[in-house]
Amino acid sequence: MPRQDTGDLLQGTLGILILKSLVPSSAHGYAIARWIEDAATDVLRIEEGSLYPALRRLEDRGLVSSEWGLSENNRRARYYSITAAGRKHLRTEAAVWLRYSQAVTRVLRTEPSVT
Amino acid sequence: MSDDRRRTPRWRRYLRLTRPNVREDVDDELAFHIDMRTERNIALGMSPDDARREAEQRFGDVAPLRDALVDHDVKQHARIERAELLSDLRHDVRFGTRSLLRAPGFTIAAALTLALGIGANAAIFSVIDALLLRPLPYSRPHQLVSLGFGSAGEYLALRERLRSVEQLSAWVEQTHPIDDGHETVRAEGAAVTANLLSMLGVSPAMGRGFTPQDGTVGNNFVVIISHGMWQHRFGGAADVVGRRLNIEGAPYTIIGVMPSSFSFPNKNTEYWQPYVFELRNVGIIWAVGGKKFIGRLAAGASVEQARREVRTVWPSLRRMNPLWDPGDSYGRDASVTPLQDDIVGSARALAWMLFGSVLLVLLIACVNVANLQLVRATARERELAVRAALGGGRGRLMRQLVTESVLLALCGAVLGIGVGALAIRALVAALPAGVPRADEIALSLPVLAYAAVLSIATGLVFGIVPAWRATSPKTSVGSIVGFGRRATAGPSHVGTSAALVAGEVALAVMLAVSSILLLRSFVALRSTSTGFDAENVIAARVTPPGATFHEPERLTAFYSTLLDRARALPGVRGAAAVDKLPMAQSVWGVALRIEHQFEDAKHTLPDLGHYQSVTPDYFTTMGIPIQQGRAFSDADRPGAPPVVIVSRSVARRFWPNEDAIGKRVGYPYDTLWMTIVGVVPDTKQDSLRDTLSTSVYTPWRQRSRMSGEEMWLVVRATGDPASIAASIRRIVAEADRTVAVSDVRTMNAVVDRSLSTTRFTTVLVASFAALALLLGAVGIYGVMSYLVSQRTREMGIRVALGATRSQVVRLIVSRALRLAAAGGVVGLGAALMTTRALRQWLYGVSPSDPTTLAIVAVVFLVVAVVASSAPALRATRVDPSTSLRAE
Repeated sequence: MPRQDTGDLLQGTLGILILKSLVPSSAHGYAIARWIEDAATDVLRIEEGSLYPALRRLEDRGLVSSEWGLSENNRRARYYSITAAGRKHLRTEAAVWLRYSQAVTRVLRTEPSVT
Repeated sequence: MSDDRRRTPRWRRYLRLTRPNVREDVDDELAFHIDMRTERNIALGMSPDDARREAEQRFGDVAPLRDALVDHDVKQHARIERAELLSDLRHDVRFGTRSLLRAPGFTIAAALTLALGIGANAAIFSVIDALLLRPLPYSRPHQLVSLGFGSAGEYLALRERLRSVEQLSAWVEQTHPIDDGHETVRAEGAAVTANLLSMLGVSPAMGRGFTPQDGTVGNNFVVIISHGMWQHRFGGAADVVGRRLNIEGAPYTIIGVMPSSFSFPNKNTEYWQPYVFELRNVGIIWAVGGKKFIGRLAAGASVEQARREVRTVWPSLRRMNPLWDPGDSYGRDASVTPLQDDIVGSARALAWMLFGSVLLVLLIACVNVANLQLVRATARERELAVRAALGGGRGRLMRQLVTESVLLALCGAVLGIGVGALAIRALVAALPAGVPRADEIALSLPVLAYAAVLSIATGLVFGIVPAWRATSPKTSVGSIVGFGRRATAGPSHVGTSAALVAGEVALAVMLAVSSILLLRSFVALRSTSTGFDAENVIAARVTPPGATFHEPERLTAFYSTLLDRARALPGVRGAAAVDKLPMAQSVWGVALRIEHQFEDAKHTLPDLGHYQSVTPDYFTTMGIPIQQGRAFSDADRPGAPPVVIVSRSVARRFWPNEDAIGKRVGYPYDTLWMTIVGVVPDTKQDSLRDTLSTSVYTPWRQRSRMSGEEMWLVVRATGDPASIAASIRRIVAEADRTVAVSDVRTMNAVVDRSLSTTRFTTVLVASFAALALLLGAVGIYGVMSYLVSQRTREMGIRVALGATRSQVVRLIVSRALRLAAAGGVVGLGAALMTTRALRQWLYGVSPSDPTTLAIVAVVFLVVAVVASSAPALRATRVDPSTSLRAE
């Protein structure tokens, strides 16, 4: 699938962000984009279109499921929700990510400091 | 595939009103996103144009994304549908198995019916496969063609001239006494041109093949033997190549052994020797026909091309014949046929006829099972109605029922293959002698594949109608609430059932008509007079080795001694010899000059049907009376005036108003005249169907130079002729131990054997018809029982209103009779149209024989009465009070 481009995001990270956004409740693509925007302020900018191929990949792997429903303004919208497998995946991926980023942070903070 | 999706409840699928529109969905989803962003931008204070531009910019390039998503979703849906279909199938199979197990009586009855149908089909198909479908076991067999018969001279000329036939070979059957050092037996072999084996693309497993050198006079004493002969006569000795084998008294050197898979022209052929062209002997080269020509087409040449070429080239040989002018029509209708067709010959039509009959049996079996399914569907009406109400669409329910039918058919196929395996064994054992490629008939892979395909097809055939009816909305309404089960089930189902049974009767009638026609032909053939008296006569084939008995004096002395010894046996009334025994082989004829009518050999001479050399006592021994003139005597010897005896038809044909005695006839390439001294009645010669009544007999001692050494000894006994069989074998061995004796049989047995194909066909078709009749009876019984059970209430009311038992019985039986009559009329009509195809197997009975039609009609009406009597009696036992209360 083209548009693998994820802006400033590392490959695979977008999936984790999407899953995380779906934890409280199911949401349509625009809501997911808004959530990422709010949660990450301007640090992580994504090209919003790339959400959709990412959602398809997650759906193919059984991490999210989708269903058509009505939006808050009464339009037909496709709602995505996280599956049990998705929650499990999110937990392990998040743990890996946190360990990794802590390790990198620790390395960067050792003397001589670059900051 | 996600686990979640697989776990989507089945019923949810039926909520989908239409198939999803993937393209629209993707567009909607993307448009929704951009619209929402635009609205937010406006709320934040942007102008509508700026708001949309900003939203699109954030989103990125839409077109390629859209295409990628559509592509993904289309594939995804296809995957889901496949998975659902598979899971439906699994479910249907599980469901079908359960529902079949719940009704074991039905399942067993249906599976057995189908097993008989499929088994019989597999058996007959194995014959079709071996005879017609499997290619001949030679290299590139589709290129092999048969060019008919001709003389050695014609062969040599054609071989040189034909372009479309790359290689041309000739061969002729040989039967000679062979002596392997232990015993003398008559063995079948073939004399073949040196190129024949290599043309077939087969080389010996041991030793070498023939070289052109082997086919020349003096170098021809080499022989290639079959794998069978190597095993049986030489114990599979490794050093067999180079050993001696005496063929007709002359020593031949074994130069090769063919592989066990090889057979030519058939499995009985035990040895091949080179055909020798005696180029100096013009008479033998041009006058003796009967060589079979086979060839391999040149690359790219078609059978049709070859036929056109042969029909131009062959007539051009007319002037080459140094003996006589073969006439204007010479070679113009020469045939070129694929070798396979030539080998299979008349067995082809027989195989297709049997195949047609057995397909009818299977159709009847299908109809029967369809009927059983229908009856069962009534019992399951509530179940089906509930399913329909819960959202099972008609297509879905039908698929479920048809799956069940196919399952049932597969059970039938498994049993059927067992039945088929037994049937093939029985069939091969019963096969008449001379069926080509009979040894190849087996339960082969194509036969198994055929049975499998057939069972699935039959499952569909007998499954669809009941499934359609059972899921019909009309029947479903109301059943669910539980009221009026009787009321709704009735007439429409019975109607379909009755129509099916009528159809079944029609098919069975067709088969019955065919079988009775064949039966009547068989009876007619059996009672046909042969024209001779076979009672108390025994025959034996006596084969002296040609090499040592070439001298006429020696041969004459041998047969005189043999006949004297035969006459001296106790219980023997007379003995004689004939070169071609009637009913045992083809008694071929001869073209003759007729004095004052057809004298010039340059004109086409009349062909007479049969030609035999006989010893003087032949007519008395065979019980053929001399109607005019005299029999042959010992005085009709070489040097005495040549004489012949002709049959009544010959006399009538050439001298209708005169006395044939004293008239003269002659061989085509000779100047000699032979005087007719006697007239005998016409006799059947080739077979009981023989229609060629013109026979010519010569005294054996004045036989033509072409006749061989082999003769049939015929002996008339005072009592049971079989008791002197051993004595006949003994006196032949005593007279000369190098002479082979074979085929010792009573004349009655010989006549009987000539009927073996007819008997085989008759028995087979009759058993198919019996099976069809039985299935038809079961069908009538089934539908009448069903009718009675559906109309219990009506019967109760009738009885309550004072109907007598006989009135009730008459009601049911007349219904069955009407059913049988309807089917019967259709069946008889169809039979009238199809039995014409049987003409070639019929004898003394017309394809539309009214007696046969009447017999079949009566039989089926009787069957209808018998089959419906049990349900009818059951109807009379209906107790009005219970039946009325039951509602």
